[in-house]
Amino acid sequence: MFSLLMTFSPERRAMVYVTTPQQAKDIPSLIKRYGFDQPFYKQYGRWAKEVASGNFGYSLVASRPVSEAFWIYFPVSLELALYAAPCIIIFGIWMGTKAGRHRNSGFDHFSRVFSIIGWSLPTFLFALVLLMIFYGYTNWFPPGILSDESSLYIIEHPDKFIRYTGLYSIDGILNGNLSIALDSLKHLVLPVITLTVVVCAILMRVMRSGMIEEMSKDYVTTARAKGVDENTILIKHARRNALIPVITVAGTLVALLMEGSVAVEIIFNRQGIGWWLATSAIQLDMPVLMAICLFMGVVFVSVNLIVDILYAVIDPRIRLD
Amino acid sequence: MATQHPALKEFKYTLHRIFKNPTAILGFTLLLFFITVAVMAPYLAPPKYEHNPYKVPHTGFSSIPQPPSAEHPFGTTSGQYDIYYAAVWGTRTSFKIGLFVVSIALLIGVTLGCIAGYYGGLVDEVIMRCVDAFYAIPFLVLAMTIVVAFGRGLDVIMIAIASVAWRNYVRVMRASILTIRDLDYVNAAKLMGVSDFRIMMRHILPNSIFPVMIVASMEIGAYVLIAAFLAFLGLGAPRGYADWGQMIALARNYIVGPPDDPFLYWYTIAIPGGCIVLFVLAWNLIGDALRDAFDPKLRRE
Amino acid sequence: MNKLLEIKDLVTNFYTYEGVVRAINQVSLDIEKDIVFGLVGESGCGKSVTARSVMRIVQPPGAIEGGEILFYNDKNDGQKSIDLLKQDEQFMQKLRGSSISMIFQEPNLALNPVLSIGYQIAESFLFHQNSEMSQAVLKDLQNNEYRILPLLRSFLIWCYAKSLEPEKSALLSLFAKIPVLKNWDYLLNSEARKRSLVILDKLGIANAERIFDAYPHNLSGGMKQRIVIALALACQPVLLIADEATSNLDVTVQAQILELLIELKKDTISSIILITHDLGIVAETCDRAGVMYAGNVCEVADVEDLFNNPRHPYTKALLNSVPKFTQKGKLETIPGFVPNLVTPPSGCRFHPRCPECFDLCKTRTPVLQGINDRHQVACHLYH
Repeated sequence: MFSLLMTFSPERRAMVYVTTPQQAKDIPSLIKRYGFDQPFYKQYGRWAKEVASGNFGYSLVASRPVSEAFWIYFPVSLELALYAAPCIIIFGIWMGTKAGRHRNSGFDHFSRVFSIIGWSLPTFLFALVLLMIFYGYTNWFPPGILSDESSLYIIEHPDKFIRYTGLYSIDGILNGNLSIALDSLKHLVLPVITLTVVVCAILMRVMRSGMIEEMSKDYVTTARAKGVDENTILIKHARRNALIPVITVAGTLVALLMEGSVAVEIIFNRQGIGWWLATSAIQLDMPVLMAICLFMGVVFVSVNLIVDILYAVIDPRIRLD
Repeated sequence: MATQHPALKEFKYTLHRIFKNPTAILGFTLLLFFITVAVMAPYLAPPKYEHNPYKVPHTGFSSIPQPPSAEHPFGTTSGQYDIYYAAVWGTRTSFKIGLFVVSIALLIGVTLGCIAGYYGGLVDEVIMRCVDAFYAIPFLVLAMTIVVAFGRGLDVIMIAIASVAWRNYVRVMRASILTIRDLDYVNAAKLMGVSDFRIMMRHILPNSIFPVMIVASMEIGAYVLIAAFLAFLGLGAPRGYADWGQMIALARNYIVGPPDDPFLYWYTIAIPGGCIVLFVLAWNLIGDALRDAFDPKLRRE
Repeated sequence: MNKLLEIKDLVTNFYTYEGVVRAINQVSLDIEKDIVFGLVGESGCGKSVTARSVMRIVQPPGAIEGGEILFYNDKNDGQKSIDLLKQDEQFMQKLRGSSISMIFQEPNLALNPVLSIGYQIAESFLFHQNSEMSQAVLKDLQNNEYRILPLLRSFLIWCYAKSLEPEKSALLSLFAKIPVLKNWDYLLNSEARKRSLVILDKLGIANAERIFDAYPHNLSGGMKQRIVIALALACQPVLLIADEATSNLDVTVQAQILELLIELKKDTISSIILITHDLGIVAETCDRAGVMYAGNVCEVADVEDLFNNPRHPYTKALLNSVPKFTQKGKLETIPGFVPNLVTPPSGCRFHPRCPECFDLCKTRTPVLQGINDRHQVACHLYH
């Protein structure tokens, strides 16, 4: 299955819908120059050729070639994802297990409520509310990536602060500058919380339903009859089996993460891929949109690949004997 | 004990299961409330502009939101748009979006799923590859791209979401059909010479539509959320349209009030935000309840 | 005192949407030592629920509501019997698998598909024979049987010795929380592996080593059932309950498994409770048998006596309905349907279908009473 996914280029679809920009039609010379009046497949062919040679076009938003701008925006999103992902995984699996174990208990009801509300919340609204409370009211966790002092410091002392990875929290540590690292972490708290809540809502419910289903299966009864205690049954026996449907949803969760990060980045004013996407959409910056579509498609396909591999790790039935 | 008609008994049992959940009752109540508001909109908030009731009246052009008062029950947002009016008529907008998107998406999705599942073979492969392509990119991104390509506006948003939403239904429908396609009564119909179309409509569809409906009811909420987000970004209807997402967008600069009273402008966000959350919550609760009621493993425990 | 297990007036109910299902209605059974006891009855009569109540693995919405289950086991510190219904969950967990074991009907589902067979067998040992294995490992360590660094060896010796002390060591519990250190008892795994291979051998499974590392989906149905039996017998229980263990296997495999069980009974197990609906198996394999109907025990007797002199009308009808070679004409059936246990018939639960029913049967529930030393019936005809 993953080989099929690989052979299909996901960006094809993006191209079909990102057709001729309307505004360029007003300017005949521009049309001629960029070849907008040529038939569709020729345009696409040209774009594909350019892409293959690494030229993604020029971004109005970033005022520089797309490929260059990408590396400025990517680390920001990566940082967010890197911190959010473990939170989501740990929190979601833990809560789901607990809820599935004591079905219809107080905790279970709480987790269901949490899950439904988390699912009903628009990401951007939740982010706004969090900002309102934790920044407006208490000024604990400001938006943005770094505070003004830190940014100023970096700009003024280029020799003292080398960008190794682009992730400020890690760069801070690598440069021995703890205050910058902590500062960046402080700015990460709210976005990570927002993302965690929204994605966890779904992860938790899949986990919970998986656990409930597994606990009613025969092998659990066998294990009980062997004298294994409930805890071990839960963790060693049932959870492994329950993780299989969870991994199936992993692709969707990653997509949700990416969508969520669009909202989060806009509201918290972090210039990452999501922010870039939205801003380009508003300003009709075509090349960027196509490039990001391509990027997302690639990410998604790789995630599915990883999911397929994970399947083999967890479920021995799928391994090639 | 009197024996009831089995279908009736099953129906009553299903109703019982749906409403056993207190959350389901909450969901239905909320939905009923919203339906009432939407239907009664012209009475609850008389439109100022007769030709276009969705234009929210604004008294003045000041950008500072005003707190609730006698004239504006929920206050006004930036640009002096009456929040109450927007909230009421926004209900209609949300229903429009949700129902439109779902019907179109269902139509496309179910049809394609039927064809793919029923005929199998090359047709199936081709259709599923197309769906895979759509699946490769997250919902929001694709929807955004479409909106950008076709310009702004509410109808564009609806079309954009609908054109991405169907991808889910095709898969579910196809899976559903695969389980029914080879059952004996379908074969019997084929042997009798019933045309393919009739088979699909009368035999297969009624039996396989359930899972799709359940997925659809769960997803309506998501569509409204995405529409709200797109409106929030400014990709939706023109300014002044009664749309909850837009209302929040208008409030963007005022989420945090002056330092001494940061919650001064809470109503600009809380009210439209609350409407969105409750609306989506209603649909989600209902979808959840339906799913729990029809899940064969959870029944008759 | 020859009794092994004594069930007295057991009551188990299930609280469902449709009402309270009175699955077990004051069931009393005596299981002696060193016999094979057959529990017979139609589907849904409560045999499985009885077994699960004994092991106390009845899941909600079921609940054991009354009665006593007395277990006579020499292993108990001097006491004559313990009431299983009064023990706490920890005690029961120690009991299950080591004193009383159970094997189930569907071998294909009984094993966890994502864990290796070896792990699942070793788990029994790890749970029940932890101290014995620790002692063995300690001895091996002291004799330098394992090829490990001297430093590691002394550390492990200390750990194992500490774990054998009666009080739980605080330090060891601390180790259990630290990711790498918590595997200090990894040597137990190899010890458990040794023992697992022994038991697999005993069950006549060739290629025990290969099977140990295999997964359930690599094995056939009969093989899986043998593994399940291995699981159950690993820690040498005193009582084995086989809940329709052979119903899903083909006849030849069935015969093999039954033979195997009888073989194994000779050296380790004391008694087997064989739950089945197949009277043929009962006749062949069991020494004593009990007949159940709709949550009640109808008749208990030695097998020969039961088949030659059935007393309860239900038993008689049951034996009649078994098709015989020489029979001509229609098959005999028992008219009527199994009753709904939410609203069971009043009095004797069999009375609507009983050809010899009279007035008393409709009002009073018959009690299981002996007509002679070895034969008990619950029927108003005899009391």
